[in-house]
Amino acid sequence: MTRTTRRTGNNAPEGMKGGVSDPRLRWYPVSWRVRYGDELAALLDDEYGGHLPTLVRLSLVTGGLRQRARQSGLTGDVASAADRVRAGALVVLAAWSAFVIAGASLAKFSEHFDESLPHRTGAHRVPDLAFTMVQTVAGVASVLVVAGALLAVPAFVRFLRAGGWPSVRGHFLRALVCTSLTAAATVVLLFWAHHLTPHQRNSGLHWYGAMFLIWAALIAITFTFWTAAAVASARRVELPTAILTAEAALAASVAAAMVVMVCATAVWWGAMAKDAPTFLMASPGGAAGSPWDIWLVSTVALMAVAMVTAAAGVVREVRVWAQMRAA
Amino acid sequence: MRTRHSDEVDRGTSAHGRRSNDPPTLILLSLAGGAKHGHALLKDVEEFAGVKLGPGALYGAITRLEERGLIKALESDDRRRPYQITAAGSRALADYVAQMRGLVEVGQARLKVAGMPQPGMA
Repeated sequence: MTRTTRRTGNNAPEGMKGGVSDPRLRWYPVSWRVRYGDELAALLDDEYGGHLPTLVRLSLVTGGLRQRARQSGLTGDVASAADRVRAGALVVLAAWSAFVIAGASLAKFSEHFDESLPHRTGAHRVPDLAFTMVQTVAGVASVLVVAGALLAVPAFVRFLRAGGWPSVRGHFLRALVCTSLTAAATVVLLFWAHHLTPHQRNSGLHWYGAMFLIWAALIAITFTFWTAAAVASARRVELPTAILTAEAALAASVAAAMVVMVCATAVWWGAMAKDAPTFLMASPGGAAGSPWDIWLVSTVALMAVAMVTAAAGVVREVRVWAQMRAA
Repeated sequence: MRTRHSDEVDRGTSAHGRRSNDPPTLILLSLAGGAKHGHALLKDVEEFAGVKLGPGALYGAITRLEERGLIKALESDDRRRPYQITAAGSRALADYVAQMRGLVEVGQARLKVAGMPQPGMA
């Protein structure tokens, strides 16, 4: 069974009141606008006339986002328990996407780090072990995410058969267009790189460096769009309780994996600062005499933010389960 | 020894999770004086509490209060739909006022002991 109540403003049924399509209320979910849109629009007309002050616009944005968060089950208790558990799991999925982008940045940053370590006995042990830990746990977590996606496939097929495609089509088209652009950029970049020397490829040619950054940004955007498509789809499908339970457990495992990876990355960073400080100072974001490389700091900060976000999603899941058990 | 009241003061909330200036409390207080629509609520709250609620905060609070059955919408042909406090809303507000009264009494007694000016005294 699919949900049919989530419509976009453009698909609003005929006969809906004017507040539903009022552009000032576009941050609010459609179902909320159906109920309150007209009277809020009247209030805005009475109080502010044709011009909304910036603070009022901000109030509408935050108010609308809060309503969306409540309706999706991210906050409050207005959504069903299943929706709240699902929202917690989807927060973990979104956090995982950010974590993967940070992980790709870490992978690029740490290229050939082993060669910078001194050859004395034991100098390689800690950084190698920590980095292997990051890679292994990342692999396990990726498998868990794929397993979660596969578990939801039957429900997604039922959703499509029930005519749900129009409600997610925009998300998938956006992701596909961005994927095509990224693929084209990859071909151009590979072709160009083939004609450059290793020095030119590694910061020696600024135009190539700029192209590389654009390509990396395209990959991150593409990944974000696919995650948005997955979240939009997962919010609309009806998951059986057993599948939802499994998804919640997988999400908690992925969040735990993120904690392990952040810790292992911190250990790797510390070991590199101790045994191979020149590696950190020599990177494009490095500074002489400091282990606080701006590239690495940004990367680990993104990993940490993603980890905390995922933990918040798991806390949401656990709270709902606890409430359900208490009831 | 800590009392429930002192814990609530520390948290800045009442037993019902409300602060004296949060939008749901202000709306209940306003509707206790009679049914009002959104714009009238905004004006009334500004007048008696000196708080200018944003439209997002106002309607967020109205949504939550209505979902919890503490206020209800009245029928209206106009776009400006009035709201009325329910019996449950009146009970919640009475509980809250009683809590506040307890805090006020504690505060006045302690200020008196400390020899400090009390609220309302010039």
